[in-house]
Formats: sequence, C-alpha cells, structure tokens
Amino acid sequence: MSALEAINCSVRPKIAYIIEPRFSGGTSVAVAAELRVAVDFGALEVHAITSRTFGENQSVAPALRQVLDELHIPLIWDAPRISADYVILHNPSFLKFNEALNTRIFARDLIVVTHENFLRPGGEEGFDVSGCLNQIEASSFVLRRTLAPISPHNRKTVNDWLDSSRLARQWRVRDTDWFNICHTDVSPPCEKPQDRRGRHSRPGFEKFPSLSDLDMCFPEHSQSNVILGADAMLNAGVLRAHWTLLPFDAISVDEFFGMIDFYVYFTAPTWQESFGRVVTEALAAGKVVLTNPETGANFGDGVLTCHPGDVDRVISDLVADPQRYHEQVSRSRKVLERYSAESFRAMLSNVLTADSGVMK
Amino acid sequence: MIFIEAGTRSLRTFDAQLIFADQLTARGFNVCIDAEYLPKDAGRGRVYDAAKFLVDPGEHEVERVFVLGAEEIDDFLLASLRQRQLPADVPVVATGRFETQQSYIGAKARLAYALGREATVLDLTDFQPRSMLPSAACPLVADIRPTARSAVEKPNVAVVLGSMELDAPETLSCLARMSNRSDYTLQLIVNGAQNKVINESPFHDLPTILYTDLSARILAKTTDVLVMFGHGVAGVRMAALAVELIATGGVAIDCTDDEAIVSSGAPALIGPKTPLALDGYLTGKILENLAGVAEQATKSQWLHSVDISRLEKAADLKPQKREPIRTAQRTVFFPTNGVGLGHAQRCAIIAKELPDDMAPIFAAFPSCVPLVRREGLDSIPLVQRTEVSANFNGNDILTYRRLGAALQENDRLVFDGGYVFDSVYRTILERNLSAVWIRRGLWPDGRSRPRMLQREAVFDKVIVPSEAFEELNDTYSYGDHVRNVGPIFRRVVQSGDERQGLRGRLAERFGREFDHLVVSMLGGGVASDRSAQLQAISGMLEDRSDCLHLVVTWPGSKVQPATFGWSNTHVVQTFEATTLCLAADLVISAAGYNSVLEILYNKIPAILIPQSAPYLDNQERRAQALADRDLCAIITEKEFMKLERTVSDCLDQGDLEVYRTALNKIELPEPGAAKAAEIIAEAKCRK
Repeated sequence: MSALEAINCSVRPKIAYIIEPRFSGGTSVAVAAELRVAVDFGALEVHAITSRTFGENQSVAPALRQVLDELHIPLIWDAPRISADYVILHNPSFLKFNEALNTRIFARDLIVVTHENFLRPGGEEGFDVSGCLNQIEASSFVLRRTLAPISPHNRKTVNDWLDSSRLARQWRVRDTDWFNICHTDVSPPCEKPQDRRGRHSRPGFEKFPSLSDLDMCFPEHSQSNVILGADAMLNAGVLRAHWTLLPFDAISVDEFFGMIDFYVYFTAPTWQESFGRVVTEALAAGKVVLTNPETGANFGDGVLTCHPGDVDRVISDLVADPQRYHEQVSRSRKVLERYSAESFRAMLSNVLTADSGVMK
Repeated sequence: MIFIEAGTRSLRTFDAQLIFADQLTARGFNVCIDAEYLPKDAGRGRVYDAAKFLVDPGEHEVERVFVLGAEEIDDFLLASLRQRQLPADVPVVATGRFETQQSYIGAKARLAYALGREATVLDLTDFQPRSMLPSAACPLVADIRPTARSAVEKPNVAVVLGSMELDAPETLSCLARMSNRSDYTLQLIVNGAQNKVINESPFHDLPTILYTDLSARILAKTTDVLVMFGHGVAGVRMAALAVELIATGGVAIDCTDDEAIVSSGAPALIGPKTPLALDGYLTGKILENLAGVAEQATKSQWLHSVDISRLEKAADLKPQKREPIRTAQRTVFFPTNGVGLGHAQRCAIIAKELPDDMAPIFAAFPSCVPLVRREGLDSIPLVQRTEVSANFNGNDILTYRRLGAALQENDRLVFDGGYVFDSVYRTILERNLSAVWIRRGLWPDGRSRPRMLQREAVFDKVIVPSEAFEELNDTYSYGDHVRNVGPIFRRVVQSGDERQGLRGRLAERFGREFDHLVVSMLGGGVASDRSAQLQAISGMLEDRSDCLHLVVTWPGSKVQPATFGWSNTHVVQTFEATTLCLAADLVISAAGYNSVLEILYNKIPAILIPQSAPYLDNQERRAQALADRDLCAIITEKEFMKLERTVSDCLDQGDLEVYRTALNKIELPEPGAAKAAEIIAEAKCRK
C-alpha cells in the first residue's frame, strides 16, 4: 500500500503498532492487553524495532508473544517503511540509545504513547526525550503527531517538558489518558488480616526507597516481610533477619501475593511510577496497598497514601479492625474498572474516529 | 574525607581513582578510596600508590563523594552509595565523558536513584572536547604551573614505548646507546611484557621503570622530556603523565603513530616514529632549545582545558594549602637489616657524630630497635618482612606508610642498605626529601650493578664507607655526589684491668676456669643459619678443659637449640659483643664489614669464616685481604675441614701471637664516622 493509499483508506482503518517487543515489564504487558482491544478497530500490523536498549537478540516478551499468537498477527522486525492510517508507537524511550529510527512512517495519525515519565521528580529529564522524539519526527511523514500520556502524572511530566522545549509545536498532547489495561477481577480479601507485609518490583535501584525507609516499612516486629525483586540487595549483602529477600522471578506473583496482606510500595524519591502497574496487580489480588501520595494519586481511594513513617500505624489499625480492611479492599474494584478493557475500548473508539481527544 | 569512587571496578578505573586522589591530595584535600576497590591483580606499584588512600569507609566521615567514570555505572557503586545513606549535605559530584545526551541523563538518573537525591554530574567533554585518552575514567587535569623549568645540565628523558613491540633487535641496541649518552639521562617507561623482553635480552641493564612504579605526578617531577611511542597513548597513567608534564613546564614529544598527544591539542612536538631516529632528533633539535620549547608550551590555550582549578570550581571544591606540621627539618635514619645489625650500628655511630641541633630519629626494624635506643636515639618501629605472608613486600608498604607519616617536605632521610626499597625510593621523591645513601661496597659477584644503582639518582649524596684496604674499595658510581669516607665502626676501649676483670667474671658466671676464651660470632641476623659451623666449633672445644667457648649474638637473634647442648659452650646475647671480643684470646667470626673492622682496629686475633649468600657482600674478599697480611686466619666455605687444625694452631701453636704482632704493626685509614656526619648535615635537596 502506498502512503497515499494508507492516508485515504477509510473503510477499515489500518492500524500499525510500533513497539520494542523486548521490554520485560509493564510496557509489553500493557501493549499485549491493548492489542486484544485494538484488533476490533481495524487491520492490525505489529512492527518491532531492534533498538540498542536491548541489543541484537529478538526475544519477544512472553505476554506479547502469547497475544500475537492468539491473534495470528505476525511480528515484523525492522521494516524499512510503515504505512497505516494510524501508527501507534509505544514507549519512545526505547530509542534513547539509538542515533536514528531507520523506519519511515507514513500515516494520518502518529500517536506516541509515553509510558515513561519525561521528567523525574525535581524536574530532571527521565531520558533523552528530545533525542527520541527527534528520531521519530525525522522518520515520519504524517498529518498529525500526538503524544499520549498514560496517567495524570505522566501527562504533567510531558507537558512540563514541552513547556521548555522547542519541539512543543510539533506535537499535540491527548487530553485523555492512554492508560494501561488492568485486570478488574478483585480477589476476595483474607478474612482476618495479619501484619504480613511485602512488595514486589523489578530490581532496579529506582524502585526502592532508602534503606532507612525500607526499615520503617518492613520492621522487625511485623509478622513477615517479603521483598520480591531484591536482587540488588542480595548482591550487596543488605540483609535483615526479619526480611525474606527473593530475586525477581524467584516465585510467581500469585505465590507472592499469597504471602502478604499488605502491599507496601515506596520508590526512590528521585523516581516515580508513570502508571503504577504493580499497584493495580496488588489491588486485583485483594490486598491493601500503602504507597506514597504521588504514586497513589492514580488510584484514588483504592490505595492508602502515607509516608514510610506512618506505615506501622496504618497497618496496626487495619489489623485491629478487619472490617475496615475489607472495606478498603472493596474500593479497589471501582478503581480498577477505570482501567478496564472496556474503558480502553471507549477511549480508543474516540481516537480512531475523529480529532476528539487531541488538544489543539 | 573526600571519597573517590568509580563507576565500575577494574584496573583501568582504579588507576583513575589513584591518579585523581593523588592530584587532589597534592592540592591540599583529604582524600581516600574505599579499600573494597583494590583489585586482586593490582600489582606492586598500584598497591604502593593505593596504600595511602585505602580506608575502611566506616571509619571516616564522608565530606564529599567524587565519582569518576560515570559514563559507565555498575550496581556495585549504586549499592555502596545507597548503603552509606549519605546525609543530604554531603555533595556528590560525578565526572564522565558522555558520548550522548542519553548517557549523561542515564548516569545522572542512576546516581539519583541510589542517592535519593540529585548528584552534580560534570561532562568532561565540556572541559576537554578533544581528550588525549577518551577512555580515561579520570579527568586528565593538572595543577598548572606555567613557568618554564629551570635549565638542567643533563635533562631526564623518559621514553614510553607504548604499544611498541621489541622484536626488532636494533631497537634495544639503539636505546642502549642512548642510555650511555652524556648529554641526557634516559629512562624507559615500559609495560610488563616489554620489561620481560628487556630483562631477557643482552640489554637487561637498560634503565627501565614500569608504568605503575611511580605516580604520574611524581614521574612528571623527575622528567624533563617525555617521548611517547606506539599507537595512541598507553593508558591513563601515561596520559596523566603527559598532561602533568606539560602543565609543569616539561617538554612532550609525540612519536605515536596516530599523533595521539598532538591531536588532542596539547602543545607537544611531533617526533620521529621510530626510536632509531630519536637520538639525533633530541640532540640535534630539542635539547639545546628545551627552555624555548617549554616556554612556547606555556602559552598554549590547551592548558586551560586541563586546569584542575576549573574542575574544582565546577565541583565547588576549594583547594586548601597545607601548612607543614613542623618548621624544623627532621633527619630520619633508616637502616635496613641484613644478616646482622651492621647497618643499624653504622647509622647509630654516624648519628651520634651529628651536630647536637639535628636530633635525628631512626626508623628501624624490631631487631634493630633495642640497639638504636641503647644509643639514646629515638626510633619509629618498622615491621619485619615475613616469609609467611603471601604479599612478599607487605612490610615495605607499611614502611612506606610510616616513613611517609614521619617525614614532610624537605626533611632528610639517611638510608643505609644495599637495595633501595620502593618505600625509600618513593618517599624521597614524594616528600621532596634531602636524601643520603650510605652504601658500603664489596658487592658480591654477579649482582647487576646498573640495577643496584638505578635508584641512586634520587639521593643527593652517596656516602661510601671505605674498607680498611684499598684493593677492597671498588667504585660503583661516580660524581660529585658520591663521597668516600673512612671505615665506620664501633670503637671500644678496654684496659688490661678491665679485661682481666671481665674474664674473671665470666669464669665465675659459667663455673669454669680457663686459659683460653674463645668467642664465636658468626652472625645471627634475620637470614643466616650458621648452626652447622657453630656445632663444629662447639664440638671441637667441648673436650678442651683449658677453654671457655662463648657463642655471642645480638639480643633477639635466632639460636638453634642444639647450641645449648654443650657443656663448654654458652650462648651470650649481648650488645657488648666487642667488649667480649676484646677480652677473648681468639674470635671466630664471619667477615662482615663491622666485625672485620672491629677486629682490625681493636687488634683482636681472629679466624674469619666468610659467609656467602646472594644478598651479602663479598666477605671472602674481605677476609682474604686480612689473611694475606697475616692479620687473621681464614677458613673459606670449601676449607671447613681445616677448622680444627686452625683453632689448634691458634691456641696451641702460637699463631695468635703472629696475628697480634701483625695487627699491632698495620696502618689503618682514619675512621670516617665524623666525615659521614658532616656530609649528612650539609646535604641539600638537589632534585
């Protein structure tokens, strides 16, 4: 199909996804869930870009592999050109180590979903945003370029970054979130909660708060403390007798949630989750989530926001009052429904019809 | 303390830490490196370099953290930063050469994640757009002292062979010719492989040092002209050397294939690409114009790019001037310990001749400390070398640390020993000491003289205590700095009454009346085992009822248990060996420098049994010189069966009288202790 044909085709739009399929975390899971919805809106193509971020191998994230197999969509690696009505590029940060995007993009709409925050708390750049967006811009021949933030906080970082960038005029920003699709089925909470705490995340340093905060979150007097994804702590010999430290993938996430009643999640103050997929997983598992106000902002009253110094008090109150614990868990369903596949379908239908949702 | 960290852990980054730590120390900062960084394969030189910086971080308060090589940061660094839980007011500054904006942002982010706050990240490409060595993890900076060096009569030319293979035989022969030139002093700076090739070649006496033998800053101080061959700059140490040298008024000649120095913008000269043409280039074009070339270099804008003060300013570091702890010059004697305690004794004799206002102190091994203190001299205790430790020079690293702590800029060090230890060599250069080498002669055959003398240049004076006889005074090096003095030994005066009184007390002490007192003094230092010889002598004298046999050693010397098994042999550990010898009828002694001189000057009849070991002086030549003059009997290693007959000839056949007569007639040179003290007192630092 020529570029002109792609732009003029209006019967069943052609939707091309551009992804780096080797992301191991939330991006791949989010894209996989999204493809199941998007397939109803048009003819899907999925293009993989081999970026320097992940080297030369072509090992696709399992969640993506599964969906592509189910949908019988071939994964096309490093196509020299992509033509479609809509091109949806997920997580531009995968280009951060590249010098150029060697794929030409022809489309009516180019939507770049900004999975990673453009700015870190404090205002420092999260990655070389200009470098990545410039590569996309230089390789794309499109009528409209849109940045699609995935959460309010993510949106704020995008807008703040654009405010100080000359690239602002090249990009529009969607005014509704291109959120991650999450499981909405909430497991029933335990009958009588105990002071069993835990957290899980990838092992990066950004995912963990300071040691003193960790000590407050997972103290000696709690019944158990399980930290999944503690590879860096294990490697550095940061051990406590009252901590169960497990490497990432040492046990399944279901097994992990079976070991805790409270999910206590704080990160380095110099980093923030752009969406907080781990939080939604804990909510769906029927756990009470304690996190910092910034991360919790995406989940309303579904999570309890506090500071590490308050964790003990919050947990002891809930352990003493199981009814309140159950009420807290019950708030999760409403929160998670905001991020359901149906909600996403509604959002996507707006995108794929007219200009709605794009800030002028 | 400023902690110098590195983004990753390797020899390359450790070198960078050492170089930068050394530079900051020279600028007056208190700097340290977490001991965890020391690589297992650091090698000798790096361990010396590192010794003064390595600390257990838990024992020091962190004032600031400096991260080098931040373009590549591994989890070790991040974990260590996180574990330290640095207070918010401790600045963290990182430097790196970031090829892309992402690598800069990435480094900044990773540090921020570990610290929980932002670090100051400085991109060195902003300071130095064209680095001499882009892979260097440290900032290639220097303290700019743009004045040209004062003219030197014989410039030191250091040649870095870099990646050059030494398979062409003409290369080494050419360098050997250059090493004998009178218009400059050649020093080759080589890697381990090149050093091996040179050592195994006929040119093994070439003056070489390894890249890691001295810090770049100190090497630059002792170099006037730096010539660099090979492809690119040979690692961060050599790059730091080139920068330091140019910044301090030296001349750099770029002979690299790719003109690596010049292409960085540094004011270096482009020289010949082969060492075969170097001599002509140096003598024909450079040496006569050294001052002019250096003067030109001081005008280069490039100096601005390597100015350490710019980096300090960006890192908010304020250099501090360190005031000396003392105003009075200190003189430290460091006697090595050989087979006996001769070095310490000689030093003590000289020290006592020094003017009263000098008040020298000693740095001495435990075996020597009592001797030194007995003479009323204070001593810093050093640690004896041990065969048990896997680190064969571990004790010298401690010596290096203790000498470094005891001596400050412009103090004076007097070293008495054959081999100039790394500790001595480095401390002299690093502290800019006035240095004196007391170096007695009679080196054993087969020892490489150029190797032994390679470090002589760091000494301002070399005092050579002479032997008693002229044929024993070999000359090993020449120059105004080499000063021969008379024999240095301990003089003891004993009157006839004192002698008789002592013999009486010995008879009483050991419950044995005797006609002949025989003293065996075969040495009992750290290395000698003379038990077989002592057993033979003890056995021989066991049945002689007219004899008392004393085995005399220094206190603390090793004595084999078998020596205590004889009824007519008694072990006496004393500092008064000479007094006992004077009271003896016959002394059976090794032929060490001190023993022989004491025997000669105190006119004591003796049988000399020269000892031989690779690290000893040539005792056989010394003993033979006496024997040739009928001043003593001699029993060489191969003549040991002669021992019984020789002892008998002495005690029963009148040979003792022959020796006494000769000893009384012989004319001996004036002792040299006072002269040696005078030379030490006048010694000035000429480096």
